[in-house]
This record gives sequence, C-alpha cells and structure tokens, in this order.
Amino acid sequence: MNGIWATISRELRAYFFSPLAYIVAALVLVVNGLTFGVILSFLNDPRAGIGAPLEYFFGQTVYFWLVLLFITPVITMRLISEERRSGTIETLMTAPVTEAQVIVGKFLAALAFYVFLWLPTVIYAVIVARHHQVDWGPVASGYLGVLGIGALFLSIGMLATALTRSQLVAAILTFAMLIPVFTFGLLEMLSNNEGLKTVFGYLNLWQHMEEFSRGIVDTRRLVYYASTTAFFLFLATRALAVRKWR
Amino acid sequence: MIEAEDLTRRYGDLTAVDGVSFTVGDGEIVGMLGPNGAGKTTAIRVITGFLPPSSGRVRVAGHDLFEDPVSARRKIGYLPENVALYPEMRVSEYLSYRARLEGMRSTEAKKAIRGALADCLIEQVSGKVIGTLSKGFKQRVGLAATILHQPEVLVLDEPTIGLDPKQIIAIRELIRKLGGQRTLLLSTHILPEVELLCDRVIIIDRGRIVAEGTPESLRQSWQGEAVVALELKGAASDRAETLESLPGVAGVDRVGESRFELRCRPGSDPREEVFRLAVERGWTLLELTLRSASLEDIFVRLTTDDRAASPSTEEVAS
Repeated sequence: MNGIWATISRELRAYFFSPLAYIVAALVLVVNGLTFGVILSFLNDPRAGIGAPLEYFFGQTVYFWLVLLFITPVITMRLISEERRSGTIETLMTAPVTEAQVIVGKFLAALAFYVFLWLPTVIYAVIVARHHQVDWGPVASGYLGVLGIGALFLSIGMLATALTRSQLVAAILTFAMLIPVFTFGLLEMLSNNEGLKTVFGYLNLWQHMEEFSRGIVDTRRLVYYASTTAFFLFLATRALAVRKWR
Repeated sequence: MIEAEDLTRRYGDLTAVDGVSFTVGDGEIVGMLGPNGAGKTTAIRVITGFLPPSSGRVRVAGHDLFEDPVSARRKIGYLPENVALYPEMRVSEYLSYRARLEGMRSTEAKKAIRGALADCLIEQVSGKVIGTLSKGFKQRVGLAATILHQPEVLVLDEPTIGLDPKQIIAIRELIRKLGGQRTLLLSTHILPEVELLCDRVIIIDRGRIVAEGTPESLRQSWQGEAVVALELKGAASDRAETLESLPGVAGVDRVGESRFELRCRPGSDPREEVFRLAVERGWTLLELTLRSASLEDIFVRLTTDDRAASPSTEEVAS
C-alpha cells in the first residue's frame, strides 16, 4: 500500500508543478466555457427544443469528446515514459513496491487530476440553478459517465506510457488507441448487419454519454468501463515489468 | 549478505554477464572493477532485482530476489550509475517520497531524513529544487536517499563519479563508515578508491570474473611481473641485447632513446646485475627503479589481454 500512496502524492504534486497542467486546465476551461455559453444562448431562444443545459453539455456536442480525446493522452503521457527516460525507474523498481502498486498509484493520480479538470464545470450547474430549477439526478449521472469513460481512456494512456521512453510517442500511441475505442461505436450507424450493429451499439460511447446525460444509468456501461480499465491497467503492469533496455 | 550464483544475462545475442558467482559477506566492502562495457552495471542491475537474469539465482540478506522480491528489495539500498532524480522536487520532498516508498512512517522518516542529510553533508540544500543543484550535490542527494531506510545491503554503482576531490574524500569517509555495519558492493573505475576502501576486489571483464581477492593478494600473485625501469646516458644500439642476457630478465622493452624496461622473471630482482654490468661497460646510469605491479597494472593486464584478437564486449556493447 505504501507504494500506492507514495506514488499518488508524488504524481499529484508533479502535476501541479508542471506548466503543462495549467495549460491543459486553461484550455479545458475555455473550451467547456464556450460550449456551455453557446448551449445557453441556444436554449434561450423560444424556438429551440426543450432540454436541460447540462444534458446538452454532456451528451450533444462534439466538444465534449474533443476535450476528452485531447486531455487523456496529455495527462498520462509523462507518467512512466519519463521515469524510463530519466532513469528514475531504476530506483523506483528496486524499492519494495510492486509493478501493480506503481501502475495503480499513477493511474489514481491521473484520475484525480482529471477530476480536478472537470470540477470547475460544476459551477455551470450552480449558475443554472440560480435561474432555473435543476434536476440534479441527470447532472450526477452525467458526471458518472465522465468519470467512467475518463477512467477507461486514462487506463489506455497508462498502457501507452508504460510501453515507451518517449512522452511524445506515448501521447500519439494513446491517441491512436483512443480513436478506435471511441469511433467503433459510431459505426453502429453505418452497419447493416444486425449482429454487428448490436455489438457496435454496446460500444457506442457517444450513445452512452447521451443516456447518462438524461439520467439513465445502465450498469452494463459501468461494467464495460470498469472491466476494460482493469484490463488495460493489467497490460500496463506487464509492460512495466519488461525492462529490456540498457 | 549478497549471494550470487551462476548469474547470466543476455541481451539478444550479446551475453553481458556470463556465469558470474560471488558472495559479499556481512560487514564486507567489495569493489567491482572492470572496463566500460564489461558487464558491471548489468551485473549490479541483476543483483538489485531491476533486471531479471537469463539464468542464475541471487539471495539478498537471505531472501531470494525472484521468489520474494519485495522483502529482498526492502533490505537493499541501491544507488544507480547515473543518479536519476526528479528535477522538479525539493531535496526534502524527494527524500520523504523515497522514505514513503520504503514504507517508513512519517516520524520515523523525518528522523531518517535528518540523519541522511547530515551524513551526506547536504543539510544546506534540503530546501532547494533538485534541478538547480550541481552534479556533486545530486550525487549526494541520491546517496542520502539510498541510505534512508538503513539497508543491510548497499549497492553503489560508481558513487564518487562527478565529485570534486574534497567531496570524494567526504563520500569515501561515509562509505567506509557505512561499510562497517553493512554489506557493501561498490563498482568503480577508480583504482585507488578500491585500494582505499575495499576488503576484496572482483575484476570483471567481458561478463566474467577474471580475478578475485584482497587488493594485497592480487598484488602478490602478480608480483612476479615486476619491471625495472632503467635510463642510461647516451644511445647505443646493442644495449638491449646485452641487458636481455642478464639472469632474471625475461625481456627488454626499449621505451625511449635511452630508456629501457626490463621485465623480470618471477621473484627475481636484477638491479644488482644491471649495476655491475653498467660499471663493467662504463655506462652512466641515470635511473634504476624496481616497480612492483600496482593494482592498476594488474587491472590493465587482465582486461586488455588479447583484446585485439577478438572483438571485445565493450565494442559490441557500446
């Protein structure tokens, strides 16, 4: 356990000491803020359809996905690659900690930072609540989706960063793995075969978020996120154990 | 106590460590010597559990490194060759991180950090950001982190590299102090360091142990290879042959216009004969010195023999 806690506290500190974290945080705030502003002015028009602003925010815009696909590689790329590049991995992996503890610790730190990036958006709900009644159930389930899909994406990033000593390669590799994970589900619309359509339907993350944003919590989705996250973290643990470099 | 048994580590076709076995006893300081690329660092990485061996076993303080890695690692303090630290952390933060990795509680850790800072003479930089420190300070921060948890076994890969002479003396002092209570394996290029610090020396070349023993015993067993350095006034061509005919001289190398080196037969000292010969022939003797083999000579001889004949590990590895 000491391995997990020591890793979490070190990595969290490292996030807040790096300028990259602030750039990412600023960018996320700008994009999310603009998106939310656009949604609000859209819904202000009587001709617009009905719906809660946060429902649109989580389930209807491509910006949500752009933010997610952009920040997860950036959050995870440094975590193990940099230890390999600088050589600190040598003291880390000769300390009395296991590979699994290191991976879990770093993953939890990444997840915590990811949650931190989303925290300011809670203010949007608070702003809306001052002018209009907010149904907090769908808001909470929307955040549940953000957490679940974020965990899945970050675990993919963990695998990528465990595979290489270059942060850049890790980020690109993460992105390359995220694209199919995100887009396979979208093939649902382009599939004529019933079986395939069902399979793609299960994996359709956009669809998942739309449901979450409307307050539908389907445990199959949560099982999917949890199991794939565990699977990628397991692969990352194996990758960290390979130290075939000089 | 470190027990290494028939360790072999291959990288593809290259065998970096080839059937190495040795023991380092409690309270013993053992130096590992070898040219670059001889396999020292690989051997050390295997012993510390960073790299798995291709075959062989290692036991550290009684724990098998591969069956019970976490217990074994708890007993080891390891300072890698290129001391790698996190540049954005402060020295004190880094040390408390390392203490937590070792599973120390915070009061215990605080005390250990104070002790390690004092031992490594880095109290004055404890609040500084590591990235701004000089090489010598970083080296000592790494060493401080290595000894935090009072490990029974210390493995130091080139601990004095990059330090200035004053710091080297301080670190050697510390190593000697640490060695008294612990098992200490130390790899180095610096031969005087070995003579100063180590109870025993292991010389590694091309992945194998080529010599092992106390610095004195190594020197004694190579004593027969002593050399007499000789300088005569003036240059004459037939002198080398005349010198070679002396009893006790195995060979003569002409190293300058009028300088010679006489390789001596084991146990012989031909200086008297050389003097008599010089008087007899009317040569003016400017220098006559017997040089017994230093550890450096032994090292060079052991690790350069038939280097030219076969491509060395060093070239392949680098």
